[in-house]
Amino acid sequence: MKVALAGNPNSGKTTLFNAITGKVEHVGNWSGVTISKKEGQIKKNIHQSEGEIIAVDLPGAYSMSPFTSEETITRNFVHNEKPDVIINIVDSTNLSRSLFFTTQLLQLGIPVVIALNKNDLLKKKKTTIDIVQLAEKLGCPVVETTATKNSDNGLDKLIVKVLEVQDDKQTAPFDDQGVDLTDVKSVQDFDTKRFEFVKNLVNETETRQVKSSAQTKQDMADRILAHKWLGLPIFAVVMWSVFSISQTHLGPIFADILGGWIDGLYTLVESLLGDSVSPFLSALLLDGIIGGVGAVIGFLPLIMVLFFLLALLEDSGYMARVAIIMDRFFKKVGLSGKSIIPMVIGTGCAIPGIMATRTIQNVRQRRTTAMLTPFIPCGAKLPVIALFAGVFFNDAAWVGTLMYFAGIALIIFGALVVVRITGEKESRTFFILELPEYRFPSVQRAVVSTLSRAKAFIIKAGTIILLCNAAVQIMQTFNWSLQVVAEGAENTSILAGISSPFAFLLIPLGFGVWQLAAAAITGFIAKENVVGTLAVVYGITNFINVDELALVSGGSDVASIMGLTSVAALSYLVFNLFTPPCFAAIGAMNAELENKKWLWGGVAFQFGIGYVAAFVTYQVGTLMTTGSLGDGMIYGLIVCLALVAILLSFIKKGDKEEQRKSALCAA
Amino acid sequence: MNQAVLNILSDKKTTSLQEKDTTISAQRTVNSLVEAEVNKEYIIKEVISEDAEMVNFLFTLGCFKGQPVTLISILSETFVIAIKDARYSIDADLAQVVKLV
Repeated sequence: MKVALAGNPNSGKTTLFNAITGKVEHVGNWSGVTISKKEGQIKKNIHQSEGEIIAVDLPGAYSMSPFTSEETITRNFVHNEKPDVIINIVDSTNLSRSLFFTTQLLQLGIPVVIALNKNDLLKKKKTTIDIVQLAEKLGCPVVETTATKNSDNGLDKLIVKVLEVQDDKQTAPFDDQGVDLTDVKSVQDFDTKRFEFVKNLVNETETRQVKSSAQTKQDMADRILAHKWLGLPIFAVVMWSVFSISQTHLGPIFADILGGWIDGLYTLVESLLGDSVSPFLSALLLDGIIGGVGAVIGFLPLIMVLFFLLALLEDSGYMARVAIIMDRFFKKVGLSGKSIIPMVIGTGCAIPGIMATRTIQNVRQRRTTAMLTPFIPCGAKLPVIALFAGVFFNDAAWVGTLMYFAGIALIIFGALVVVRITGEKESRTFFILELPEYRFPSVQRAVVSTLSRAKAFIIKAGTIILLCNAAVQIMQTFNWSLQVVAEGAENTSILAGISSPFAFLLIPLGFGVWQLAAAAITGFIAKENVVGTLAVVYGITNFINVDELALVSGGSDVASIMGLTSVAALSYLVFNLFTPPCFAAIGAMNAELENKKWLWGGVAFQFGIGYVAAFVTYQVGTLMTTGSLGDGMIYGLIVCLALVAILLSFIKKGDKEEQRKSALCAA
Repeated sequence: MNQAVLNILSDKKTTSLQEKDTTISAQRTVNSLVEAEVNKEYIIKEVISEDAEMVNFLFTLGCFKGQPVTLISILSETFVIAIKDARYSIDADLAQVVKLV
């Protein structure tokens, strides 16, 4: 048996889906979080039936109208896959809009059960709904639910109703027989009547003491949080606090404990191996695998604290306000405020972020957003940020905050360039976003989401990162004649051989050594590899608790082992964050861009931006801190100027295209 | 103190809005949402745009001829409006499209 969950955006479909299936799909208190359908089995303890029931969570839709593209996935699913029952999740605080979609669902000939969700909010708003009458008038069962609650949430009752109605024939209260569905005008005339029907229905069944258009405390909060001038600084403070807690205060406490365990494991395995094992195998296991993977896993506590805080933020409804603040800036560069949604999702992982661009209608805006979303530091880049903030900047929260805002700044710059290259400077687009109500974020939901992300992180570290570290260890142990490299002759290893030519290109950026180049290269497989590879090539097993370091590596601290100045370290961080993302994310870009020219243009652009940004960071930083120029200034400048010249020539071409178009329009 | 800040903020909003209104139309007839007064319910005269899909989308939200709409506030150059029982944030270009009686 198959049950579809359908309803308006942000009515709580995914929360309800997670509650009845036990899955942990991403939830946020704003519209458009779910972009593709998700399936799961309904837990046995909430239904008594013999067979299994599959629930399908669909992206939110306001209507089944054939004239809007937003709802395509939902419409196609309901039409093509014919679920046995539809659970229509209705935000009970907004019947007058939601029931419009309900009346359309009731026409499909599939039994519908209404979950009158967010029931807890009704009391707060002093609103009552006569559900008996509502069910009678609509001709389908109505169950009050509060999917966010653990018990007494109405969900078992909902599933009982679903099983009851599966073979029922319901009669639609409102039918479009005789309406020409291909004609916009006649459909709209009919839908006007449908809204009229809903309005009367709501008048009869709902008692509201407070008019919904009255000003509330929430509106007052918006005036400050999304204020023209205060909004952005407040957002900066919020992000800074998130980093301060996760990287300066709470995170390191947990990280120290975990680091101790990893060191313990290292010592344990070392003693178990004894002296009889070949030095190569013992180094592979200890330094390559335990050391490399351990260095990455060591950052898990910091990342978990950060994910937890971001989950609280998403749950609170604040992110939609950030979209409002950003719209002004995005609009000026030809993006839409909606572009912020993929970027916020991209803080977790760029892949779902890039996929979320599907909800942007305008093709150029969609492609530009897909191409620029990876500039927002994703979860995999956090260990890299945490490593450099910890080693070179004393765990300062400003490093992470600065990287996020630098990401946003590069996106704005990138969008500006793209809109000029495509010659669409003058094109206009609209922005509309539903404003969800603020709510007190749920600690439990944030914990569940954090644990699920932590699990994914550990799996990745135990598979792809482990393999890469083993490969790096092997490549640095052997030279091209497959002999073990002698001590002091590390430059002859395979790894050094492969990375040295790249290292040469990186001299003007302040980090032209093969070890750092190798780490940047493995970073394209997965960004966590930057940390793992650095651990392997420098023989550092623990970046956080560095008391024992002198014994292992001979240097007193990580910074001196790497031989980088703080400025060069920042430049290296910039390079790793703002060059192209991992291959998997490039794959997602390929899928969403649907155009090779855009894909390669995008990747080249990311390389160019990463290179120039790191160059500027290093050279300007060095000039400011030491008063002299950094290494390779001249030839780096030549490369950068060449890149800028290429960009300018594309922009010039775009401008001509724009002129041609406007001339065409005028004619 | 917070209350004071709030008052200042909302006062500022209203005055800037009034200034805008008087420059656009001396008789204070309100043509579209861009010129609307905060906190006053208006009836939508029509929604006109070349972007048919947007017009249809607004329709599904209940934003069409004859429906009531209230401007809640103007935040960072976007318009927060109440339609049916929801709040939406729309940009000035879209607010221009929603003509009022």
